[in-house]
Amino acid sequence: MPIWNRRDECYDADERLQQQMERLQSALNRAYNVPFYRNHFARHGVEPSVVESIEGLSRIPFIEPCHFSENYPYGLFAVPLRDIVRIHTARGNGPLPVVSGYTKKDLLIWRELVARALTAAGVSSTDILQVELDPGLANWGRDYKDGAESVGAGVIPMTTLPPEKQLMILKDYKTSVLVTSASGAEQLVYHLFRANLNPNELALKTLILVGDAPGDNVRGNLEEQLHVRAWLHHGLNEVPGPALGFECEERNGLHVSEDHFLIEVVNPDTGELVKAGEEGELVLTTLTTRAYPLIRFRTGDRVRLLQGACPCGRTLRRVEWLPHRSDDMMVIRGVKVYHKQIFHILTRELGFEPPLYRFMAVKQQMMEYLEVSLGVNESIFSDEIKEMQKLSQKLSDELSLEIGLPVAIRLKEQGSFT
Amino acid sequence: MEPGVFQEVRTMLRIRNLKCFYGRIRAVSGVSLSVRRGEIIALIGANGAGKSTLLSAICGLHPQWNGEILIEKQSLSGLKPPDIVKMGISLVPEGRMLFPPLSVIDNLKLGAYVRYRKKEHREIEGDLGTVLELFPVLKERMKQPAGMLSGGEQQMLAIGRALMARPRLLLLDEPSMGLAPFLVRLILDVLVQLKGQGMTVLLVEQNARAALQIADRGYVLENGKVILDGNASELLTDHDVKRAYLGKDYREFYEGRA
Repeated sequence: MPIWNRRDECYDADERLQQQMERLQSALNRAYNVPFYRNHFARHGVEPSVVESIEGLSRIPFIEPCHFSENYPYGLFAVPLRDIVRIHTARGNGPLPVVSGYTKKDLLIWRELVARALTAAGVSSTDILQVELDPGLANWGRDYKDGAESVGAGVIPMTTLPPEKQLMILKDYKTSVLVTSASGAEQLVYHLFRANLNPNELALKTLILVGDAPGDNVRGNLEEQLHVRAWLHHGLNEVPGPALGFECEERNGLHVSEDHFLIEVVNPDTGELVKAGEEGELVLTTLTTRAYPLIRFRTGDRVRLLQGACPCGRTLRRVEWLPHRSDDMMVIRGVKVYHKQIFHILTRELGFEPPLYRFMAVKQQMMEYLEVSLGVNESIFSDEIKEMQKLSQKLSDELSLEIGLPVAIRLKEQGSFT
Repeated sequence: MEPGVFQEVRTMLRIRNLKCFYGRIRAVSGVSLSVRRGEIIALIGANGAGKSTLLSAICGLHPQWNGEILIEKQSLSGLKPPDIVKMGISLVPEGRMLFPPLSVIDNLKLGAYVRYRKKEHREIEGDLGTVLELFPVLKERMKQPAGMLSGGEQQMLAIGRALMARPRLLLLDEPSMGLAPFLVRLILDVLVQLKGQGMTVLLVEQNARAALQIADRGYVLENGKVILDGNASELLTDHDVKRAYLGKDYREFYEGRA
């Protein structure tokens, strides 16, 4: 399988270390110009010069998802707005969204990252690539479009068409590569069989699965049902970037683009680095990002750093991406849903804190959606069914709009919560 | 080297976490950079950014430093300037630092001082010819005192003198300083010519545009720290380069946001 950027993906270890050290120091110095980072570092009694080696990065404090909303909208930008050419909004874990920006250079970097990930999956100029992601992952949709165009593939960008129409496009336009989440692909399978279509009638040969690590057998089942090969890409909702990590033809872990990101794996409870090969939380530092640097961002994603060289020739280290989360959230159709976020929306719409609520992912006819069960107390209760239905609809609409997923509300007696 | 590893990258100079001091004042605070064989690297930044100090540390002229400076994996720590010259590193210093009363030819020969001890007389004569071919104007003024040359000619002589040591790595500190634009172009063209012959160059310049036009990659220094690095063509179009180069405006921008 070809390699998109042989020089940067196949550096020897010593060169990689030097490159990372150079870029890390430069990234820290740039981030230090941002008041948030300056104050954050000062609170922990450090400054960029304390990092004298890659290992020394552990002296720098973490940043957490809450810091994004605390600095809404532009507080984490490291360049003036006149240098920003694209502004993205992603759902955060609080009431305010995460606003991130790209400079021209950043856009080129993301193009490169997506292009190298797609190339590793064998995508080329002979392919027609269709992007089908939920609105909650719209940012990624744009990046996949750009990256696939760099590779020279014909791109069918994200649409908001119903699944039946998407399937029609997939078939009639002879899509050969589909970028979607695992649950999106499962839904496709459902509609495919429902429409009595044989997978052989499709030109589809490659699935790029993004959003969340698929559970056991999900990938295998999809490959079998759709007669395709599926590849995993890992990205972050908070940073508008898919394909930070990608599988090569070995499909044994995801290569992380370490020339642009420094990764650490820490114990989620203590924040200490775990031993080589142990499972932990992925902590990410951007090395080249200009507009929106992230220094030691706790992603909440669980990974395990794989040991040994990959036969594909890439020297970018690999991680095994594990389908559990280490914070208070879940991933539905690739979209991260935070407890806090739901709490804030419910509080805002009800006008008071919800007495009891619970949320879960529900799958119906292979379609995954978010179900929020709300305990009804005196403040919520109305003896008019119409009013209750109206409230339920309103909450569902608002949650759906903000989270970017279909949402169903179930009003339940408080006593029924166990 | 592992199988499949890309083998074209050959680093000539590697600096890791360099800190340089003037007494208790830190002029360079944790700089890491690398120069690959056959590259021209531009080190740019405003006055006082630490560029010249960094070059001095590489050449052994500034002893108060810590960190790592490696030439092809060999450490320069504790080495004296003549030892560093012997390892193939030549500096063209800021202000040229010629010997004004001495003739052009004597200045050039002094550049090969360490080689005379190795009895390389024949090779030195050959190199003299090469340098004079590179700078024909020096040939016409071989017997004139260096102090009588124009600024541009003096700069050529300073570069020629550095080349007489047969360096693997050529360091230049502000070679365009005080020169007319056409002379700057001429000097930079010579550097490109040298690169074509396999020379590795680390160029310190305040004239960011000129330096980045001929460089492969660049580093932008501010207050003794690298704040940007990347391909020269990208840095050339970068707003921050302009701001870093102007120094004051850049800092004011950020402080205004705080």
